[in-house]
Amino acid sequence: MTLQDSLRLDDRVIVITGGGRGLGKAMAISLAEAGANVVLASRTVSQLEQAAAEVKAASGREALIVPTNVQSSAECDALVAAAVAKFGRLDAMISNAGIGDRRGSGASIYDLADEDWHDTISVNLYSAFYCSRAAANQFRKQGPGGVIINVSSGTALRAYAMGIGYGAAKAGVISLTKTVAAQLVGQDIRVNCIVPGFVTQAPPETEEQNQRIAERGKFVTVRRLGEAWELGPLAVFLCSDASAYITGETFAIDGGGLAGGIAPTGYAMDAAGGTTNG
Amino acid sequence: MAEWNRKSGFDLSGRRALVVGTGNPAGAAISLALAEAGADVAVASATLDGDEVMAAKRAAKAVTEQGRKSLSHGWDVTLPGNVQVGMRQVSKELGSPSILVYNADFSLAKPIEKITDTEFGRVQAINQNGAFYCARSFVKELEPGAVGRIIFVTSIFGERGIEHYSAYALAKAGVVGLMKALSQELGARNTTVNCISAGWMDWTPGRGPDEIGENRLMRFVPMRRFGKAEEMGALAVLLASEASGYINGQTLHVDGGVMTHL
Repeated sequence: MTLQDSLRLDDRVIVITGGGRGLGKAMAISLAEAGANVVLASRTVSQLEQAAAEVKAASGREALIVPTNVQSSAECDALVAAAVAKFGRLDAMISNAGIGDRRGSGASIYDLADEDWHDTISVNLYSAFYCSRAAANQFRKQGPGGVIINVSSGTALRAYAMGIGYGAAKAGVISLTKTVAAQLVGQDIRVNCIVPGFVTQAPPETEEQNQRIAERGKFVTVRRLGEAWELGPLAVFLCSDASAYITGETFAIDGGGLAGGIAPTGYAMDAAGGTTNG
Repeated sequence: MAEWNRKSGFDLSGRRALVVGTGNPAGAAISLALAEAGADVAVASATLDGDEVMAAKRAAKAVTEQGRKSLSHGWDVTLPGNVQVGMRQVSKELGSPSILVYNADFSLAKPIEKITDTEFGRVQAINQNGAFYCARSFVKELEPGAVGRIIFVTSIFGERGIEHYSAYALAKAGVVGLMKALSQELGARNTTVNCISAGWMDWTPGRGPDEIGENRLMRFVPMRRFGKAEEMGALAVLLASEASGYINGQTLHVDGGVMTHL
């Protein structure tokens, strides 16, 4: 098989939760362009319809949309069942749905409310478990093979003072990835995790948005924010046979943030007087 | 509606790469993968060992059979002057590369008290010093404004301990440190720096017999097999592509899941 053949996903069936916008939609477009039948899940039907239209425009392929609340295990099971009913099988599950601590954002450990904690853990971590389990059970019915990709966050690995529940949930997603990878490796199922850093969800529509993104990007190692489409090739690679010897792995896509982070961006040691022995 | 300026993750058309280190099969496999993705690829051995120099020649030939430009050099990466002259020569013959893959690999298995100064020096010089020299010369030759990509092939032995691999572990861990520092230094200049960390591969010394029943190491690897050189190619292509500009400072494992478990 040539390299390019190994990266094709022709007629593979791939479910993407949080597929109505942002990273999920961007990954879905790349996967469909590589030949996959994509199944988009989220709560908001209007966004799913828009995303399906964009998938169609980019790839010519029809996406299946399945309105789903990923906090419900029954709905995650039903999502997989809907994918199988339409396309006959499941090849990959991308568990991407999640939200920041919107309700609990900025709350301190002194007074973060129970329901905000539960809600954040539920949508970010329970969803990954429900989707992994639903996918694994379908894979088992089909025989060997299958791919699970979970989407975590840089806040899983470094403190983000504004989000107690979010970081904890996303750290749980990495742990879930590794354990499920170890459990399913014997069935030739690979489980990996994508860890995005600061990534913009949609192209800027106005000059003001552009400015704001550029301003925030100055604090990133590569001096810009990531763009959602940049997760696409990585998702294609991880869903494809080209990543056959990779499982349990965490792929950060953060511009270099996690490799640094011990001084402000652009802090050069010589300029700071760090050359004392030369 | 605004659109992203998307780029392919698997098309390297018009790019020039340099792969250094053909002492193990990953060098040739990565060279071929980059060529299949459309890059012109120069191949240099990391040492003047005859077998390695010949492997570089064969890898270059395989690149040309893909219809891409190639050339092969015999380098000694332990000599910074040789690396600088070699890099300049590649730039002259092929054009300055914007992709560097450093795959030089020299292992040594011995109890620490038995490792001689010469052995220790050799392990450091090839695995670690050569990585620094090649990265430095690559950055010097990089065209202004080019989208640069540096990929160091390292090893799980630089991240987790194993007996009698102290010198090798030090060198491979050093490369990970080099990668992280450069990821910060070059990130603002459109150049990303990452490691591909190989697990137990077909060619890893001490991997034991092919038959899994006789190989307790193979049973320890979650995928119950050793990695193949070709399995490193696609990741190298992805990291080399213009689409991977936001993947920076990472050590990515091609290891059958061995780094996943306790």
